[in-house]
Amino acid sequence: MLNIIELEKRWFKYKIKSYIPHISISISLIVISSVFFLILNDVQSSPKKVSTKKALPLTSLSEKKIINKVQTSFQEEHVQKKPIILPVVTQTNITKNNFQNKIQLSPSLDFMKKMQNSLQPYYSNSANRYNPLQKVEEPKTEIVVQKEVITQSYIPKPQKRSINIKRQNTQNDIYEIISRFKKNSNPALSLFVAKKYYELGDYEKAYNYALITNKINKNIESSWIVFTKSLVKLGKRDKAIATLKQYIKQSHSSGARILLDEIYAGNFK
Amino acid sequence: MNSIFANSKDVFLDIVNAKDYVQLDRVSTIYQSLKDSIKKPLKMILLYGRPGTGKSMFLNKLYKDLSSTQKVYLYQTPILDESEFYKTLAQDLFQTKYSGELNFTQFMKIVESKDIEEIPVVLLDEAQLYSEVLMEKIRLLSDTRTVKFVITLHKTEKEDIIAKEHFQTRIWETIELENASSTELKIYIQKKLMKANCFDSANMFTNKAVSRIHKITKGNYRDTNKLLYTLFDLYSIYENNQQLSAIKTNQVSNKIIEMSAIHTGLIDA
Repeated sequence: MLNIIELEKRWFKYKIKSYIPHISISISLIVISSVFFLILNDVQSSPKKVSTKKALPLTSLSEKKIINKVQTSFQEEHVQKKPIILPVVTQTNITKNNFQNKIQLSPSLDFMKKMQNSLQPYYSNSANRYNPLQKVEEPKTEIVVQKEVITQSYIPKPQKRSINIKRQNTQNDIYEIISRFKKNSNPALSLFVAKKYYELGDYEKAYNYALITNKINKNIESSWIVFTKSLVKLGKRDKAIATLKQYIKQSHSSGARILLDEIYAGNFK
Repeated sequence: MNSIFANSKDVFLDIVNAKDYVQLDRVSTIYQSLKDSIKKPLKMILLYGRPGTGKSMFLNKLYKDLSSTQKVYLYQTPILDESEFYKTLAQDLFQTKYSGELNFTQFMKIVESKDIEEIPVVLLDEAQLYSEVLMEKIRLLSDTRTVKFVITLHKTEKEDIIAKEHFQTRIWETIELENASSTELKIYIQKKLMKANCFDSANMFTNKAVSRIHKITKGNYRDTNKLLYTLFDLYSIYENNQQLSAIKTNQVSNKIIEMSAIHTGLIDA
């Protein structure tokens, strides 16, 4: 006689044993699949993370752009504040193929300001229309601007912002420019010397250099103005008026006309 | 009055009886070829297969079928003593009683002295139990063509060697018996039950149930018989305990199959 109860117990144990592999396989499958899905999700979500990570540099880039914009606007402001004639000056510089020598010049800022102030009326009158003589006047600032160009080039490098501008005395500036003029006979340099002497009150030398400039290039308005102003200062008012009239007749220079009017009116003595 | 389960249980008692022989298509073909081989002037016929494949049943069936028409001698239990073996053969085949020791030479003299009209067929079951020396003498005896042997061997590694080394050149017919397929097993079970008028029990064996049984027994007839005997024993016990409602009766319960397999040792629980 079979012991049914004992046999059922053995069968129950056997069933549990037989289910163990199935259960373990199904559990392992669930675990594997869940791990797989987790990895898959990670893989799918990882590009988003990357994108967010990348987004930060983008924002930083945008910030950088903003900063750059601010910097450029700042620089632009500075550039704007600085002589607008910069490109024109470089043009003349190129035409006169004496660029390197000009860069070496380091005029005093004080002198530059004085020159600009002195030339203000002429520029204000002749700025809006083309005048061939205008080019003559521009080299005056060109030397200064070259210095500015150098300083601007240092703007991106904050540690090199400290610009050492040697303030030479005016006489030394003049001698240096004269020596350079003797080498290349650049009318811009002679005009510069003329203006400088005029500023210093040495009207005779100013007259001479303006004359030299006019001989080299008779279409430089500022040179003729310095020339006639020097004549007036030397007491040769009539000669100055005659020269101006002659020049106005040729060039129709408004600056020259204004000066002539001032001489007639007695405002310029 | 016995229940259907008790009757069904008895069908699967592990006894070799030619009456219980179940005709299966494949087995019938093999059996017919064996019968044909006996008619041929062959010295020896080897019937081999794994234990429980029906070799003994085959031999019994053959004996039953041939005994009415010709001289057939079946030895289900091996006669391991050599002298006893010769004496038994001398008495059965040639009606010669020998009181003392009988050796092979003396036995051969008896054989030669007899005028043999019809070659007797000797069926030796479990031939793997015979000694190598005796098997060699059986071979020599078969060479005289005075006795025809049909021997059955278990198909094991050792027995394969015996078959190859001692009989390969001499045996003219070799027949291998194999385990039943799932379909054959179903036919085998149902035919067996129906032979005993256990139709309800036969209907309980669905394809699924037979498939499960086949998986456990691998189609081995002896294991199947053991399992089904226990199975119906269990059903009987459940029936006696009035617990049949707890198990399936319209078809063989998987639980009962497994419990039977556990009890018979076919499942290691």
